[in-house]
Amino acid sequence: MKIAVRASRTMTRRTMLGTLGVIALAAASGTLTPPRRAGAQPLGLNESLDEAMTRVFGSRSIKDGGSLIKLDIPLIAENGAVVPVSVRVDSPMTPTSYVKHIYVVADKNRIPVVTRVTLTPAAGQAFMGANIRLGETGDVRAIVEQSDGTLWQVKREVKVTVGGCGG
Amino acid sequence: MRRLSALPSLALGALVLGCAVMARQTPEDAGMLTWTSRALPEARGDFRVLPDGRREAIRYKGWPTRDFSAFRTYDYDDPRPEPVVERVTMPAGLKGDPTKGRALFLDRAKGPCSGCHLVPGADVWPAGNVGPDLSTLGDRGLPDPYLYQLVWDPRVVFPDTAMPPWGRNGVFTSEEVAHLLAYLQTLRGPLPPETDPDRNPLTRKKPVGFGDNLDPTNNPAVLLAEDAQAPWEQKGPAGRACADCHPGGPERAMRSVATRYPKHVRIYGRVMSLEDFLEAHGPETTGRPYPAESADNLTMTMRIKMASNGLAVALDTSSPEARAAIARGRATFYRKVGARNHSCADCHTSDKGAKKFLGGRLLADVSDGLTRHFPTWRTDRGEVWDLRKRFQWCMTPLGTNMLAADAVEYAELELYLTTFDRGKPLNVPGIRH
Amino acid sequence: MADIGKVRIRIPSSIKPGEVVQVRTLVIHPMERIERDREGRIIPKTYNYINKVIVTYLGKTIVTFDTTQSVSENPFFSFAFKATDPGPLRVEFLDTTGGRYEGAVDITFA
Repeated sequence: MKIAVRASRTMTRRTMLGTLGVIALAAASGTLTPPRRAGAQPLGLNESLDEAMTRVFGSRSIKDGGSLIKLDIPLIAENGAVVPVSVRVDSPMTPTSYVKHIYVVADKNRIPVVTRVTLTPAAGQAFMGANIRLGETGDVRAIVEQSDGTLWQVKREVKVTVGGCGG
Repeated sequence: MRRLSALPSLALGALVLGCAVMARQTPEDAGMLTWTSRALPEARGDFRVLPDGRREAIRYKGWPTRDFSAFRTYDYDDPRPEPVVERVTMPAGLKGDPTKGRALFLDRAKGPCSGCHLVPGADVWPAGNVGPDLSTLGDRGLPDPYLYQLVWDPRVVFPDTAMPPWGRNGVFTSEEVAHLLAYLQTLRGPLPPETDPDRNPLTRKKPVGFGDNLDPTNNPAVLLAEDAQAPWEQKGPAGRACADCHPGGPERAMRSVATRYPKHVRIYGRVMSLEDFLEAHGPETTGRPYPAESADNLTMTMRIKMASNGLAVALDTSSPEARAAIARGRATFYRKVGARNHSCADCHTSDKGAKKFLGGRLLADVSDGLTRHFPTWRTDRGEVWDLRKRFQWCMTPLGTNMLAADAVEYAELELYLTTFDRGKPLNVPGIRH
Repeated sequence: MADIGKVRIRIPSSIKPGEVVQVRTLVIHPMERIERDREGRIIPKTYNYINKVIVTYLGKTIVTFDTTQSVSENPFFSFAFKATDPGPLRVEFLDTTGGRYEGAVDITFA
């Protein structure tokens, strides 16, 4: 059952966040709904990078997005289980020119496609952040699809470390 | 002094706790108390005997279950001294294979040697620098018998070394040591220019950490700590809730309480962390069990410690009980244990491994204070760990059997470590790798 | 995990009309990884992970994340939105077993 969710308590939050300079207001609720009918295929499959890229982008060309996309990710991940990544794209985010999708792809993961973010002009800013898993050292790429259908990408190698004492 | 304090509480313990407290047997410790663990079964350091007669350790899910009882532990009742230094001569005619040696050097099931020593190769990742860079060791012309001894038991040459006696304690066989030597002797300069500064621990970027401890959208443990609210308010089987005796909510009722732990608790006759105290005091007052390493114990500990966030650690370090316990905790910190004959100090003091890389991990320095963010979220485990589980996990690579999470030995070690946090603010729960 | 589905949302403490605001959100969820048998074959079963995150503001979807098992346990997401009017910002998390978890925050202007 997925309903073991309680309304969140807010009494302590102000103290906990006192030093953060922000407030958080959140309510949580849980309900059981029938599973959504997924599309023909889930986004993430156990596949190679090439298979994933072909499946998702077909033969469309992907341009170098170096001047457009800011991919922020630690170059050394202390732990592959939780790697913070964020992507910011330079875009006016107007109805005629906006970023439609931001993909995050981890080349060496068994499931290379991590997420596809779908944005609307109402987002005001082409930005996404997430904590992702990295199975091993390898490239992480951000691929951007503009509203005009063009694809752009940047990538950075992230090294995944482990402890030194065996065991 | 500890004899004096222990006796009355022994009598009290016998009354209140049944057989939970009993006197130690060894003469020098007469009067000290043995604590019968109340921790979860997998947190007690117990063993089971398999049908084939082998002993298997009962451990947390997914933890190694090998029995290391051949090696010294942190148990105050373990009378074994540090293993004597073993002088060896390299067996005549023993010839190693450099390829096998390199594989052994990098084998994570063994050392790995690369956890402390850098060697050439793009696949050497992540190497540490607790020990010297061996990239050109072959150029030094060191004789094989000398290197053989150094790997077998380096204490012959360096009495105070942090390097394990690999051969002496049976981690590497004679043949394996020969393979390692054969490999090390091939390491010659000049080295090609380094193309990857992160390969070398001296030039590698430092870890950036995992962000703000107290941000509930960053640290899941903050959300888990909220689970303590229900047991705080709801009456246990004994008809009382925490809130009945501690009115005003945990923030107010428990404000500053955590700054004084671990401390010597007279009625139990021992040093206790908050976790230790909770597992005794909680059931005695509310009837609700709070065994060490249980979710209830961890979340309640977090909740209580969070009520002291921002307040400085204010331990008792001056009472005779505290001073004696800190001295014992310090001795534990420097005690060599296990198959690797390591002490805590080998990794966590600045004259040894502290602030250096052990593999990909930057080792913490005891003098910075290591305790005030515990219990902490472990991102690689998806769990909250208190300091005791962290201690127990350290036992695995040391090759020594862990003690119970609520062992007095660990409590006094924790007390010693916490002395370095005095005057520094609590910041619970932490978030780490 | 008793805490599955707990949601937290963080927004800046003061928001001006028309401002583009970054929001942080976290949900407690196991995000089950693929398991393999001794031969290394994937064990076929319904793995429980969040595969969709839907952000709505004033009742309109503004950002969605389609997600896979390559997203961390207890996933964290951040996104931006343009705060045009006071009203609710909702984040809804859907998992592969039909679980639905929601957090909401009221956007107000100082």
